[in-house]
Amino acid sequence: MTKKINFRFLPLVVFVLLLGFLLKGLFSDPSERDSALIGKSFPQFELPDLNSNNKMHTPETLLTEPVLVNVWGTWCTTCKYELPFLTKLANEYDVKIVGLYYDQNHAPEFGEYADIPTIRVEVKEMLARLGNPYQYNILDLDRSLSLDLGVTGAPESFLIDANGIVRMHHMGDVNERIWREKLAPVWNEISQ
Amino acid sequence: MNKFVITIGLLLLSNIAQATTEDQISFKSEQQKQLYLELTAELRCPKCQNQNIADSNAVVAKDMRVKTKQLLDEGQNKQQVIDYMINRYGQFAHYQPPFNVATSMLWLLPIGFILFAGFVQVKRSKSKQQVDEPTNLSDLDDELAQLLVSDSNNKIDTSASNNAKTEANVKDIK
Repeated sequence: MTKKINFRFLPLVVFVLLLGFLLKGLFSDPSERDSALIGKSFPQFELPDLNSNNKMHTPETLLTEPVLVNVWGTWCTTCKYELPFLTKLANEYDVKIVGLYYDQNHAPEFGEYADIPTIRVEVKEMLARLGNPYQYNILDLDRSLSLDLGVTGAPESFLIDANGIVRMHHMGDVNERIWREKLAPVWNEISQ
Repeated sequence: MNKFVITIGLLLLSNIAQATTEDQISFKSEQQKQLYLELTAELRCPKCQNQNIADSNAVVAKDMRVKTKQLLDEGQNKQQVIDYMINRYGQFAHYQPPFNVATSMLWLLPIGFILFAGFVQVKRSKSKQQVDEPTNLSDLDDELAQLLVSDSNNKIDTSASNNAKTEANVKDIK
C-alpha cells in the first residue's frame, strides 16, 4: 500500500522537474559561454598598426601592463554604441584600451581584398565623431589573431593582466552595467 | 512551355554557378577531401546557433574552413584539427561532446529511464498475476467459510433465545 502512494506522485515529480528544466532554458542565453582562453596566455602574434604598415605589434609591446583589448570594426553597429562609454573608461578610469580591428571583407582565399586606405579613413571619421578610446589599433586583416582568441564577431572585449593572462572575456557591447557587474571587479583586481 | 523549361534550367544553372564560385578548393588527395568534408560537418559554427561550419556563411565559419584546410595541408590529422578549434572556441565548437560529469546525464538518463520502465513493467505484471493465483481464491474461500460459520452461529444463538421465549410463553400459558 505504501509503495503505491510513492508511485502515484512520480509522474508529477517528473513533470515538475521537466518544467523547471525547460523554464530555465527559456531564460538562458545560448550565446553566453565562457571563452576557452580564460586563464591562458594571450596568443602569439605579429600584426601591423592600423595606421602604419611599418609599425608592428607583438605580445611584448601589447602586454606590458593590464589592458582591455577591444575587437571592433566600423562595419559593426553595436561597436558604435560602446565607443562613447569606452572613451569614458579610458579618460576617467585610466583603463588602457587597445583596439583589434576586425575586418569582415578580407578573404584572399576567395579573391577578396580589403582596401586599407578606405578602412583608415572610415576609422578616423568614426573615432572623431564618437570618441577615441584606443591607445592604438592593431590591424587583424586576415583575422588570424581573432581566430586564436576565439572571436566570433564584433564587438568582443578581453581583459588581460600584467602577466599576459586572459582573465575575462565579454561578447557584445561594454556598457555601464556590464562594466560595473562583470568587468570592473576583474579590472580592479588586475590593475592594483 | 519551352520558355518555362529554359527559365527553370537557367535558374538551376545559376544556383550551381553561385555554389562553386566561393568554395573552389583543390585537395591534395581524395582522402584529404574526405577528411575536410568530415571535419567541416563535425565542427560547429560558434557564431550561429545550430549550423556546422560547412553550412554557415558567417565570417568566422569561413575562417574556420580556411584554417581547417590549412591545417590539413600541414599534415595534421582529424583529432589535431578538432583540438585546435576546441582550444580556441571551446567544446562548443565540436558536435560530439566528450563523456564527463557534466555530460554524463545525456547517456545515463535515457538508460536509467529504460531500466526504470522495465522495473515498473515487471512489478505491475507480477502484482496482476498474484490476483489471478488460486491461492488467493482459496484465501477468499476460507474467509467466506468463516463468515458462513459465524453467521450460522448467530442463527443458532437467535434460535436458542427464540426457544427460551417460546418456553416462557408456554409457562405463561400454564
